[in-house]
Amino acid sequence: MRKTELKQVVTNLSVKHYKGVTILLVLFTLSLASLIPRIRVDTDPENMLSEDEPVRVFHNQTKDNFSLSDIVVVGIINEHNPNGVFNPASLGKIYELTEFARTLRWPDEENPDSQVGVVEVDLLAPSTVDHIGQGGPGVVKFEWLMARPPATDDEALEIKNKAMSNPLLKGTLVSEDGKAICLYLPLTSKDLSYKVYSELKRKIAEFAGDEEYHITGLPVAEDTFGVEMFIQMAVSAPLAMVVIFILMLLFFRKLVLVISPMIVALVSVISTMGLLIGFGYPVHIMSSMIPIFLMPIAVVDSVHILSEFFDRYKPEKGRKDTILEVMGNLFAPMLYTSLTSAAGFASLALTPIPPVQVFGVFVAVGIMIAWLCTITFVPAYVMMIKEESLANFGSASVHEHKQGRLGRILSFAGRFTSARAKTILVLILVISASAVYGITRIQINDNPVKWFSKRHPIRRADIELNKHFGGTYMAYLVLEAADAEPKVEHEYLDGLRKQWLQKGKAITADFPDSPNLTAEVEKLLLDNASADKTRRQFLNEFIALAQQKSNEAENADRIHEADAWYEVAGFFEMEIERLKLFKQPNILEYVGNLQQHLKSTGVVGKSNSVANVVKKVYQELTDGREENFKIPVSSAAVAQCLLQFQSSHNPDDLWHLVTYDYDRANIWIQLTSGDNKDMEKVVKAVDEFFAANPPPARLKHDWAGLTYINTVWQDKMVAGMLQSFMGSFIIVFIMMAILFRSALWGIVCMIPLLVTIAVIYGVIGLVGKDYDMPVAVLSALTLGMAVDFAIHFLQRSRTSFARTGSWKASAQKMFGEPAVAICRNVAVIAIGFLPLLAAPLVPYKTVGIFLCAIMALSGLVTLTALPAILTVLEKRLFKPAAAPKSATCNCGLCFVVSAAAVVLLALNLNQYTVSGWSKLLVFSIIAIPVMALICGIMSRRQACKVLENKEENDNV
Amino acid sequence: MFENSLIAVVIFALVIGAAVFAQEGAGSDQPAKQPEVKSETPSPAPELPSVDEIVNKANLMAYYQGADGKAKVKMTITDKKGQARLREFVILRKDIKDGGDQNYYVYFQKPADVRKMVFMVHKHTDPATDDDRWLYLPGLDLVKRIAAGDKRTSFVGSDFLYEDVSGRSLAEDAHELTKTTDELFVIKNVPKAPESVEFSYYDVSIDRATFIPMKMEYYDRKGRLYQIIETEKIETIQDFPTVVKSVVLDLNTGSKTEMEFSDVQYDINLGDIFTERYLRRPPKEARR
Repeated sequence: MRKTELKQVVTNLSVKHYKGVTILLVLFTLSLASLIPRIRVDTDPENMLSEDEPVRVFHNQTKDNFSLSDIVVVGIINEHNPNGVFNPASLGKIYELTEFARTLRWPDEENPDSQVGVVEVDLLAPSTVDHIGQGGPGVVKFEWLMARPPATDDEALEIKNKAMSNPLLKGTLVSEDGKAICLYLPLTSKDLSYKVYSELKRKIAEFAGDEEYHITGLPVAEDTFGVEMFIQMAVSAPLAMVVIFILMLLFFRKLVLVISPMIVALVSVISTMGLLIGFGYPVHIMSSMIPIFLMPIAVVDSVHILSEFFDRYKPEKGRKDTILEVMGNLFAPMLYTSLTSAAGFASLALTPIPPVQVFGVFVAVGIMIAWLCTITFVPAYVMMIKEESLANFGSASVHEHKQGRLGRILSFAGRFTSARAKTILVLILVISASAVYGITRIQINDNPVKWFSKRHPIRRADIELNKHFGGTYMAYLVLEAADAEPKVEHEYLDGLRKQWLQKGKAITADFPDSPNLTAEVEKLLLDNASADKTRRQFLNEFIALAQQKSNEAENADRIHEADAWYEVAGFFEMEIERLKLFKQPNILEYVGNLQQHLKSTGVVGKSNSVANVVKKVYQELTDGREENFKIPVSSAAVAQCLLQFQSSHNPDDLWHLVTYDYDRANIWIQLTSGDNKDMEKVVKAVDEFFAANPPPARLKHDWAGLTYINTVWQDKMVAGMLQSFMGSFIIVFIMMAILFRSALWGIVCMIPLLVTIAVIYGVIGLVGKDYDMPVAVLSALTLGMAVDFAIHFLQRSRTSFARTGSWKASAQKMFGEPAVAICRNVAVIAIGFLPLLAAPLVPYKTVGIFLCAIMALSGLVTLTALPAILTVLEKRLFKPAAAPKSATCNCGLCFVVSAAAVVLLALNLNQYTVSGWSKLLVFSIIAIPVMALICGIMSRRQACKVLENKEENDNV
Repeated sequence: MFENSLIAVVIFALVIGAAVFAQEGAGSDQPAKQPEVKSETPSPAPELPSVDEIVNKANLMAYYQGADGKAKVKMTITDKKGQARLREFVILRKDIKDGGDQNYYVYFQKPADVRKMVFMVHKHTDPATDDDRWLYLPGLDLVKRIAAGDKRTSFVGSDFLYEDVSGRSLAEDAHELTKTTDELFVIKNVPKAPESVEFSYYDVSIDRATFIPMKMEYYDRKGRLYQIIETEKIETIQDFPTVVKSVVLDLNTGSKTEMEFSDVQYDINLGDIFTERYLRRPPKEARR
């Protein structure tokens, strides 16, 4: 009975001190709104993972090891000229654009000495890359591919031929059809992408001609999305509000009254965002959606109040009495719907993705703010309206005409659901079963570029450029030695000895004065070898020794001997070089084969590695013929090819592909699709290759690059969302079971939610829409909305049953005002968010469609499945008198709730422990019977007996 | 002796990129023929040499000391993370004519897997004639001529450019004496064909006493300093002031290349070793 007191106290307070309540609310909102200007924006999807996430650490390490930057891709296509872009005019513009891009650098705000922007030395463009080719018989030529723009068609075609002859450039810098050229602009930091993007667009606007210009790349997509997202927020959310407002005006026909839900929505959105920013959290892609999520939830309760107020208001009764009565009826369901929705969102805090946690917690806070605002401010607001303004208000005055149609349909639905209860249930079962089938076909996939609609310039650039090139999505496959410091094992020593015997022979042939050299060094080798020493250590000992001997001999003027020992030192130095994996021909062959295999996936358009570099240089150093595009046979030859490559204009390009110590190599992979499922396909192909083809030395491999990172957070997101959804499902169930003091009622209450979610995700699976980030997050919203309607319906059915004593009679009532309220809510929110479909950003469209579908479906299911179930299960459900008693007194309920709590606990523990399921299963097996026992004891305790006796007495 | 006087050049050439000075037909003991460059600065005080005299003298100091010479070079390339790569080679030089054509022979010793690689240049100061360059790759047992599109490519992956080795012709830039201090002349050099190079101009600070270029500062097209070459240590060897340590710093990449010269000898009377025949069988002066 305490609850009743609370609701009366609250409502009376608001009604009595309505001015004070309003002032308080305004102050509260304004004070939080004042925090909003401190906003910090974070649009980086990388932050979906916390900073110490291994994949991010590795990604950053890789970027550092290989001096890699995030890249903006600029494509220039000429479809009109028969020679494509290879004509003086197009190449002239490309040259000019490159020169312009070089200048896109700005002083670093944090460190004025350094500059940020385009990394000039790593910029890839026809005028910044080298051409290696034949300069005549026996002559190799190194030159800029395009030192200056060509003056004639012939010169332009020569540039084309040179570029096409270089496998390092073909498919990367120039398209194989010759129609297009790509510039790759590496950035010091990817958050400059939008700035660079805008500057380039400005420059491109100055060009006239046949060329099309496209700018894309994940950094641009991500950064631009961030910028446009906020523009969308400023457009979509208010637009949705306007539409909701108009719809409510149509329903309730009283401007003054309809303003109140709008105020509730505004207050909760503003104060929640204020809180979020005030607590110092950056506004991420996820949290930017808070207003959109919060608005429908905030409005729903007010619509229930207004709807009931509308139906009950009669001028002779007066606003005060009406609102008191309405609040009396709605207080409990509103509290519970808010609590359950909040709990549903709060459980997102258990997802291991920081932005999702922040999102979940603050939506939950926002829901509770909206609830508080609704129960205090809406009654206060009603009191502020002059009685005369309410003239002609209420269904009493409108009912006969307009209201009639909806009313008639609903009362028909009411009769139908009772009469055909079993048919409806079977139908719902069939639909659910097909939905489950659909769910099994769901494709988990995401691609930030696809967050833009197909007409967006970035999406079009993506489509066009990936048609012409090896791909605008970058991933890096890093290969490295599995053991960093190999030891001098027997096998190694044996090989080294054999090498030495051969070399020793050659040296003694050159220096007949030192006939014993070979044997002397061989003995030293065998004497000093130890499996404890690393190979490098061991070889260095011999280098030092040989140098010492050489110096001694030189000082004693034994020049030949000195030279001989000098050669010995050279031998061991060479052996050290042979430890460096990615200079060895067999390893490079292996890398080449791996790249070949990658190509066969169909997703990888192009890959570059140190192996390609060696092959190309070798080809041109020999005779330029294509069959010489291969790895030379000796490691010395490889090293010499690499040194030649470094004698170019861009010597440091090599260090993007291999580290100085040649212990680590990077395969730069270009994908034509940034879809996670495609990236995953490539990852799998690499794993398969390694399994089927053991490398010649122990290698390990790992991935970096934005395209790969996206797959990692997607995995976390999907798994995390699923678990947290299950978690919140259980929480809501526990709350429902306690609210209704019955596990059965709790289950019934969850049915509309279950059916709604199954159908929505089933349709996604059947239609083939990708399950991506927005879709994953929306499951939480479903939970909040669908359960709302069920609570309202069931709670009021029970109240009504208590009055009428029969479900049939109650059903009649339920399909009156309560059903109308639900329908109004459905309409307001479903239609209110349709403007989102016009947004150029796909996640917004998704949210719009989803909200519409969730509202319509959950409303429909609530109004069909629930009455059908209540009809079928009337005896079981309504048998015990609905007298509330402590949950712990009901043994069955207590057990179910406890079991659910244990599962919930296990679920959450699973997210944070590595122990996995088996231990948790044991934990559950022990915990559940213990709970059952406690429940049994609790329900038999004195307090319950007393209560039961009292009830019996009362009944008597 | 004089006839044979040669050395530091090579080294110095490497270090300082003959940027300032190649000059046709000038003997070291004769005043150089006036280049066509006109100084725009007001005439310096009477005791000061003219711009042309300064650049010519510096050119000879940098590239033409002694008639021939040899040096062992240890080159350390250090990137911004502090990771270092090492190269060791012997460089031999012989002048055809002081201030004019000359030959270089670069014999690699380290890393071990490029040992015995040879890079040979016949440098021609006549701007109409390209240098002749050869390469011997022992790993491929291959002699190759190199036709380079331009001279501003990296020298074996270091921050020094080929042009820093072979020398930039004086005729390619307009020279201007912009500053004179007690120790230094500062010459501003503006390329006559700006589109052929990546800098807009560079300043050279020349020691007034020795005429050794001490510092070269390169400015990019936006007028921002991006590269500095500095002479860090000078020793007098066989009476020739000789740069024995110099450093290039690339401000864009944070990379640094240090060159240390040892075993410097001038006038060693090199024979006719600058031919293809010697690429596969290096002369004894080159070994060790």
